[in-house]
Amino acid sequence: MASTAQSANTALPKGVSPLRAGTGTSFLWRRLHSLTGIVPVGLFLLEHLISNAEILNGANAYNGQVKFLTGLPFRLWLEIFGIFLPLLYHAAYGVYIWWRGENNVIDYALKGNWFYTLQRYTGVLVFAYVAFHLWTMRFTGIHLTEHYDASVWKVQTELAHPLMIAVYAVGMLAACWHFGYGLFLFAAKWGIVTGEKAQKRAQVLGIALGLLLTLLGLVTIYSFVTRPAQEKNPLWEQPVQEQSQLMAPAATVR
Amino acid sequence: MANKTVQFKIKRQDGPNSQPYWDEFEIPYRLGLNVISLFMEVALNPVTREGKQTTPVNYDSNCLEEVCGSCAMLINGKARMACSALVDNLEQPIQIEPFSKFPVVRDLQVDRSVLFENLKAVQAWVPIDGTYDLGSGPRVLPQVQEQAYRLSQCMSCSCCMEACPQFNESTGFVGAATIAQARLFNMHPTGKVLKEERLAALMGDGGIQECGYAQNCVEVCPKEIPLTKSISDVGGQVMKKAVLDFFRV
Ligand code: SF4
Ligand code: SF4
Ligand code: FES
Repeated sequence: MASTAQSANTALPKGVSPLRAGTGTSFLWRRLHSLTGIVPVGLFLLEHLISNAEILNGANAYNGQVKFLTGLPFRLWLEIFGIFLPLLYHAAYGVYIWWRGENNVIDYALKGNWFYTLQRYTGVLVFAYVAFHLWTMRFTGIHLTEHYDASVWKVQTELAHPLMIAVYAVGMLAACWHFGYGLFLFAAKWGIVTGEKAQKRAQVLGIALGLLLTLLGLVTIYSFVTRPAQEKNPLWEQPVQEQSQLMAPAATVR
Repeated sequence: MANKTVQFKIKRQDGPNSQPYWDEFEIPYRLGLNVISLFMEVALNPVTREGKQTTPVNYDSNCLEEVCGSCAMLINGKARMACSALVDNLEQPIQIEPFSKFPVVRDLQVDRSVLFENLKAVQAWVPIDGTYDLGSGPRVLPQVQEQAYRLSQCMSCSCCMEACPQFNESTGFVGAATIAQARLFNMHPTGKVLKEERLAALMGDGGIQECGYAQNCVEVCPKEIPLTKSISDVGGQVMKKAVLDFFRV
């Protein structure tokens, strides 16, 4: 027989600890994570997708929408407390949740378990994508708060490479899926949708909404990519040399 | 059918701190074998497939009809009851392991006392202890009885916890069974008196918030207890309490 030798001085294995009834703050943090996913982060996603779709009404409409948004009073505060901080919290706590879960989708290849797993992976993917997207579109390059009329140009320049289009498409799908399924999770966890049949329905609805939003996003991307390249801004007072330099990439846009 | 056999292997462990090892067995096929009867065959003739003498396998079982909850183990990787796992329905060689998230006592026997601790933590009972006869209890509507009956069938097998990705040492999650039992006793007209305390307990660390809705629990539960419905239901009760507490406490 194999080892009967017991390591005498090791303590007995403990296993999972029992409920720490009524103590700790994780309830608050976890529910806050759940809430921030819907309001404001999810709401912002909706707004963002709808605003982006303005491109379907033409370049001027799009630039105008950017003008409206960037011209909102307290814009910076809205950004910080309405988007950045909640987003950062949702992302950071989400990674913590992901790290503590013990994925077993291989052993239990069940539908709900796949969705559970997907919610974690799409979350991490969206985190990476949003960080990248913020970097290229919000924190570097021409600042659209001052130059809203360069908005279409900036997006078209961003999407100039097919690889970029792929990155955006994948980011779009991941974000919309995460949000759509997240709506179902929210409804289930907060006791809004409780019944067995009702939850199946809510799950389908959540996923359908996610896919619908993805479609909207993809149509938007398509519209950006296929329309004639916009000039950065003909009205700008720019040194001639710099302007021609800056115009160069726009000229190569398909 | 001549010479038909059943092949299976068992992950064994001699004590809580010893190293696990596998024993492989092969026994003649009989109609209607279940996994417990395989262990009985081994006990009759504790010889492995390679002809090595070994000991009978240690395991928990009692009712042999899927009502006591003691014979839970991993069969071909999934949490289920050994007594209702029919050999005819299993892929061979059948792989049998003890639960992975509970401390092994010996072989397939594990220590599931964490569930008992959790049930105590949410006071999963109706408090009727008294020094005098309290008379008959309040009426329970048949509609409520119907819901309660399903929940009352829980046999504390812990399959729902073993299969749950959130039930692990880093979360210390309470698991679906306890939440369903909290719902059961919150539903009871007399048990309700402890409702607030149960909900407060479930808002502690490792409480209901740790559920990530993988829904494995409800898929593996041998008693088909509506676990996800219960988690949502209690999730709603807990949120209501959280909001009310915020304004009233
Ligand atoms: S729904 Fe998933 S995470 Fe929640 S208790 Fe069940 S198995 Fe665990
Ligand atoms: S809820 Fe189901 S799986 Fe969980 S302990 Fe009870 S009977 Fe077992
Ligand atoms: S022996 Fe009772 S459930 Fe299997």
